[in-house]
Amino acid sequence: MYAIECKNLTHYYGSKLIYQNLSFNVEEGKILGLLGKNGTGKSTTINILNGFLQPTQGECLIYGENTQNISPATKRRIGFLIEGHIQYSFMNIHQIEKFYSGFYPNWNNKPYWELLSKLKVTPTQKLSTMSCGQRSQVALGLILAQDPDLLILDDFSMGLDPGYRRLFIDYLREYAKAENKTIFTTSHIIQDMERLIDDVLIMDYGKILAQQPIDTFMNRFKQFNIKLTYPDQEILADRIAVNIEKVKDKIEFYTYATEEEVKGFLNSQGIVYESFEEKKMSLEDAFIGLTRKY
Amino acid sequence: MFKAIIYKEWIKIRLVVYASLVLGLLALINIFLNVRHDILFVDAANYWYAFLFRGVIYFGILKFLPFIMGGGIAIAQYFPETVSKRIKLTFHLPYRENTLLIRMHAFGAGMLAAIYAVIILLFIGGSAIFFPSGIIIDSLLTLAPWFLGGLATYFLVALILMEPMWLYRAFYAIVSAGFVTLFYKIDSIGGYKHLLAFLALLTLLLSCVVLFSGYRFRKGEM
Repeated sequence: MYAIECKNLTHYYGSKLIYQNLSFNVEEGKILGLLGKNGTGKSTTINILNGFLQPTQGECLIYGENTQNISPATKRRIGFLIEGHIQYSFMNIHQIEKFYSGFYPNWNNKPYWELLSKLKVTPTQKLSTMSCGQRSQVALGLILAQDPDLLILDDFSMGLDPGYRRLFIDYLREYAKAENKTIFTTSHIIQDMERLIDDVLIMDYGKILAQQPIDTFMNRFKQFNIKLTYPDQEILADRIAVNIEKVKDKIEFYTYATEEEVKGFLNSQGIVYESFEEKKMSLEDAFIGLTRKY
Repeated sequence: MFKAIIYKEWIKIRLVVYASLVLGLLALINIFLNVRHDILFVDAANYWYAFLFRGVIYFGILKFLPFIMGGGIAIAQYFPETVSKRIKLTFHLPYRENTLLIRMHAFGAGMLAAIYAVIILLFIGGSAIFFPSGIIIDSLLTLAPWFLGGLATYFLVALILMEPMWLYRAFYAIVSAGFVTLFYKIDSIGGYKHLLAFLALLTLLLSCVVLFSGYRFRKGEM
């Protein structure tokens, strides 16, 4: 059963194509991370999912309803975190909790006050006087109190220091797994995603580069560091090479192929090398390897 | 849920509501202190004559107050929603978007109408001390377009603030300036007597235009 189904999405801003025929699904109970460089359409996708943008073609469904016309009952099942942890900053932490509690029958303020007890804030402190990190905890606490089935988080790590990011991620993952929640999230800080997500969706300009469970992706996608004997030798791109980055005699070879297949490929091209070793990658390394450095 | 909507809107506009009431009260005190002073030193008959035949308006200070109050409440209510596109949070609430916007708008307009009602009632009460009913009725007919103009200002400022594109905002601002001027053009006593129904209808029509800006936002015009 899918919480989110997007089918054949195409979107243009004016004459600029953002993506064409983009399709993906998010299974219920999974945490999916949407990764992509700036301008690849992450925010566009989030806006379409929240019904704030009508795609040029295609549609997205959340729990079977078109996102352009989501019923209040389904909205109640969706928690939404806006980029930058935007909230009603003219309210204080008591007022905002009281306000939201009026909309959600299953409102449970325990996690909200639990999270806020870790912060050095007063009950009548306005959100506008809080730091970005403190506001992130307010925004997260409100979502947890809402107890939604699906959480859509737009760049949750923006503006947070490492401590707050870690607190946010650990709390969120524990909550999602314990309560079988679905999360669709983007973040600019990819190392955060590694601790959080089950599935990864990597977008490039106009297309999807990878969509699979993160463990499968990290096991299959590899980086080999090769030192050439003759720095002038050029490696011709082949279907097994996803990306080749060459600086003088050093080559970073990114591929889904095995070590034997890569060596066979190099031999077939007559490439002579002094050393050949597989490098253990982080998700950030893999992301850059897949999407190139620019 | 309706209570929660009102709760948020009240937090946003309460200071402007209080300030409007204080401003209105000060203006009324000023008006009736002046009237009392003039009647004592000029005598009532001459004072009424000046109003009825020379068109001297003793409550001119009230002219632009409804306009300022209407604009003030619209800004206090809708500006915080547009900062960092916070309106997304509002539209994400489990409520039909148009219904939500109508209720927010009705609350803002209702509060403005309540402030106007307080000012008008106090004005009638104060006037009754010094003037016969004929002068009070003429005074109310003179005040009516100013207060309708205040309501129209509220609706139009909301439209401008909720519009997602600056180019459209500028266009709406120019058109709105033209509309609002209609309510404040004639300065004679009861000058709008025959136009009041038209102005009231115009104000009623303007009450819904904010829905258009809300629709444009939801369709992704940015």
